[in-house]
Amino acid sequence: MTGDVTSGMTAGKRARAGDVATYALLALLTAFFLAPFVWLLSLSLRTSTEVFLGASRLIPDVPTLGNFERILSDPAFLTYLWNGLKLSVMGGGLAVALAIPAAYAFSRLRWRGMDALLIAILAVQMISPLVILVPLYRWLSALDLLNTHLTVIAVYGALGMPLAVWLLKVAFDAIPVEIEEAAFVDGASRWIVLTRLTLPLARPGIASAFILAMVMNWSQFLVPFILLERDGDWPVSVAIFNFAGSISASTTQLLAAACLVALIPAVTVFVLLQRMIVSALIAGAVKG
Amino acid sequence: MRSSKPASVQIRRRDRALPWLAPALLMLAVFYAVPVLDVFRLAFSDATLVRAPTAYSLETFSDVLTNAVLPEILLTTLIFTGLSVVVLQLVGLMIALLLVRGERRGLHGMAAFRTLVLAAWVVPGIANGLIWQMLFDEAPYGTLNSLLGFVGVGPVAWLSDPVMAMVSAIIANVWQGTAFSMVVFYAARRAINPTLYEVASVDGANAWEAFWAITVPQLRLAIAANTILVSVQTLNTFDSILALTGGGPGRATEVLALFTFNTVFYNLDLAGGSVLALILFALGLAFATLIFGWLRREAA
Amino acid sequence: MTKLSFATAFFFSVSAVSLGAPAVAQDLVTRTMVGLPDAPNTLTFRLTAFDLYSSDDATREGFEALFTDFIRARPDWKIETQLQTANIGQEQARILQQTLAGRGPDCAMIDSSQLALFKENGVLQPMNAVFSEEEVADLFPYVREAVTNEAGEVLAWWWFTDLRVLYRDTSVVPDAPQTWDELKAAALAAAGEGREGILFNGGRWEGTAFDWLANFWAQGGRLVDDDGEPIFADGENREKFLTAVAYVQDLVESGAAPQRVSSIVNYDAFNAAAAAGTAAMFIGGNWQYGQLRTTLPPEAFANWAVSELPGPTADDRATGTGGWTIAALTDDPDKAALCGEIAKEIYAGPGNALQGLLPTSASLYEQYDAYDGPEFELFAEALQNGVSRPGAAIYPEISNQIQILLGEVLSGSADPETALDAAADAVRAAFERL
Repeated sequence: MTGDVTSGMTAGKRARAGDVATYALLALLTAFFLAPFVWLLSLSLRTSTEVFLGASRLIPDVPTLGNFERILSDPAFLTYLWNGLKLSVMGGGLAVALAIPAAYAFSRLRWRGMDALLIAILAVQMISPLVILVPLYRWLSALDLLNTHLTVIAVYGALGMPLAVWLLKVAFDAIPVEIEEAAFVDGASRWIVLTRLTLPLARPGIASAFILAMVMNWSQFLVPFILLERDGDWPVSVAIFNFAGSISASTTQLLAAACLVALIPAVTVFVLLQRMIVSALIAGAVKG
Repeated sequence: MRSSKPASVQIRRRDRALPWLAPALLMLAVFYAVPVLDVFRLAFSDATLVRAPTAYSLETFSDVLTNAVLPEILLTTLIFTGLSVVVLQLVGLMIALLLVRGERRGLHGMAAFRTLVLAAWVVPGIANGLIWQMLFDEAPYGTLNSLLGFVGVGPVAWLSDPVMAMVSAIIANVWQGTAFSMVVFYAARRAINPTLYEVASVDGANAWEAFWAITVPQLRLAIAANTILVSVQTLNTFDSILALTGGGPGRATEVLALFTFNTVFYNLDLAGGSVLALILFALGLAFATLIFGWLRREAA
Repeated sequence: MTKLSFATAFFFSVSAVSLGAPAVAQDLVTRTMVGLPDAPNTLTFRLTAFDLYSSDDATREGFEALFTDFIRARPDWKIETQLQTANIGQEQARILQQTLAGRGPDCAMIDSSQLALFKENGVLQPMNAVFSEEEVADLFPYVREAVTNEAGEVLAWWWFTDLRVLYRDTSVVPDAPQTWDELKAAALAAAGEGREGILFNGGRWEGTAFDWLANFWAQGGRLVDDDGEPIFADGENREKFLTAVAYVQDLVESGAAPQRVSSIVNYDAFNAAAAAGTAAMFIGGNWQYGQLRTTLPPEAFANWAVSELPGPTADDRATGTGGWTIAALTDDPDKAALCGEIAKEIYAGPGNALQGLLPTSASLYEQYDAYDGPEFELFAEALQNGVSRPGAAIYPEISNQIQILLGEVLSGSADPETALDAAADAVRAAFERL
């Protein structure tokens, strides 16, 4: 090291000043990202008479947990939550399952038209569900495949797959081929190598791809709204608006509570899996 | 990216790619290729949502393309998408770098902050629009305007002024969408070899110089990929705008995706909506091609 | 009307006199079914989430009791209930599409503004077996015209209606303005006292077009001709249209109405303004009177009064009327009859009274105590000038164009003439594509 004692101290001071700046910026950003949630929370704790009082009653005079009680004791709401969870988890799982072999082929095999297909898959990502849903609806209706969760899961799988292919290709690329080669020398088949060696090593990439796909499914409105016609099948992202009564109803407080409760599963997933992804990323970064 | 593979593996194991690709390709064909072809067919027809096609012609195409409001819609789309993409990425990058710095320094609250940003992401689009609509309320007791009033600013015509309505729509979109860019940049930034920064520090580079000399070039690929993904997501966004402004005042915030949605589900004009859907698709594709071209030049 | 009717369900139910409903037999009403699962006959019924499955306890319990009594009297039947979401436009399009594809419900709630589309597509089955000629004759004229066809068949039952009225805070505006000029003067005076003079819907949504249309209709303006072809931008209709636009434009430009009206996209904004005591007047729906009663402290509520919407002169008045209908989509005459009975025995009458919704026939107002309040006299009187939206397939696009036009004019980004020309062009293009 070339730095002497004084420059070491200024560096330390500079770092602490940087910490203060970091916190200051984060505080600003926190205010921005937190504000809507604070507002939701405030609404969800109000009685119907206080809902119209707007921001002047950020902390309600008569706070109540009744709205949450009401939402959570409604068997229909729990069904919607369960439907949402089932559809997004299985849809995300399907997307990743479809993407794994494809991404592996893109990463490990070399074949003609590879680049073109990779770009084509990205191009598919450009297609809004809005574009494909109407023709899909017409066919699925002709084939009598509407109103089943399996159909929605399949569509979710298709919607989430392109991004998953890209994420997984990058993840596979980061795993040294040499590791696999050693296994090939021992006579293992590609399938064995993939499942026993590559996939465990690519776990963080798979987890990220799965979480991304799942989260996008969780807030998906258009697909389930169009493909599921019976309210008992709806996920919470569609059904939640029944708790609004209308955009303009006195049940705004119920909607706010429902929104907050609906966020819990997704946020839980983030909290639980975040650490795993982060630690994996750090490990990858250290290895370079 | 690792593009070269040891020849030995390739030669020794004559694997064919097709079996590996088959499930994905099948899925693409069923859920994308064929529906898109169907959209093409419908675009040449006179179908409505409640009437099957009875005739095929170019009429719908010419009707939609000569529609006097189309240029306005496209401009609105361009502004909304362009500004959103820039702001989303700047905020996402800033957060990612702040998080990385905070974690390196062992600062508290980083995980909580990250979770907060991610939580905004999972709010359904329509709920997002409704929440921000209440925050932007311009009544004398409106939330944001009351807050601004405390510091002597405003009131701001968040939703009733055409220009501000666009700004508000972008703010709501940024609130919800930043998480994606944050995740991408966070992962990419963590993947940069720390020794690069150590070397720069030894060479006497300050943080700003290191940012331009190391972080930006190293993140180039992530930025390009993210630009494509974020643009396309933004281009296809309509639910939050639908709930926030309905596209108004006037047509001030009516983007192409919303216009398409309205054409199909409000006017029941399936053929016209199909043409618009194709324009939407073409725009996304054109944009991605531009970025790809840039990437390729960069790589060369 | 679409969204606005739902709000009614909640607020009125709080104030409305309970029917003295007995303890509800919960087992006969589940989330998906009314009746016993082994009943031999099944009727599928697509309803909104605003009555039987309302988020409001009192409303829900009232309807559970009504449905329970209904199905007890018909042990051979069960009703499979299907919810539609608050996305009215798409939900109604979906019902129509499903019905055309042979998968529709037997019986469904149809928004009164969408009824024409269903009639035009020939999917509605007559329910004459249920409704007598006297009952049909007792309907308000615009209702009767909408639910029957030339052959006299009853194709739907419009079970409640609504209308727009002027609300005012009598501590600021003691006398009800009868004309546009009086309204502007009163609003300006209130604005001088630091209030928002007059609020109305001006954002991009159906309510904006619907509420404003009263000003066009009051002059005798017509949107479409007898063949359903748009004529609002031609001849004298054009002048009336521009006059009505100039009226609201002047309200904003003079400061009688705040600029923010062009961002108002729901009627709740008016309740909030009333609760905050910041507005002197607003143009709202009849159902908001009950909302104000439950929201405001009694002494504040006492200041609020309703009156008929002002017209260009005191004699030229109009108000937009909306509401919901119930219609049979099945070919089976027994099911169509049951559908009609649901409309008649549950919704029109007891269902109206339970929620304080306005019945569509005069006799029902006398039959129920819920309509004793003085406000109902005013509503009944104003309904004499009621105009419903034209039952033309092009109406949604006309409404869309009016919303755009008003938004642009009120936010100062277009002048009325140019905006009207653009709207007329757009409507004509859409009409040709229909």
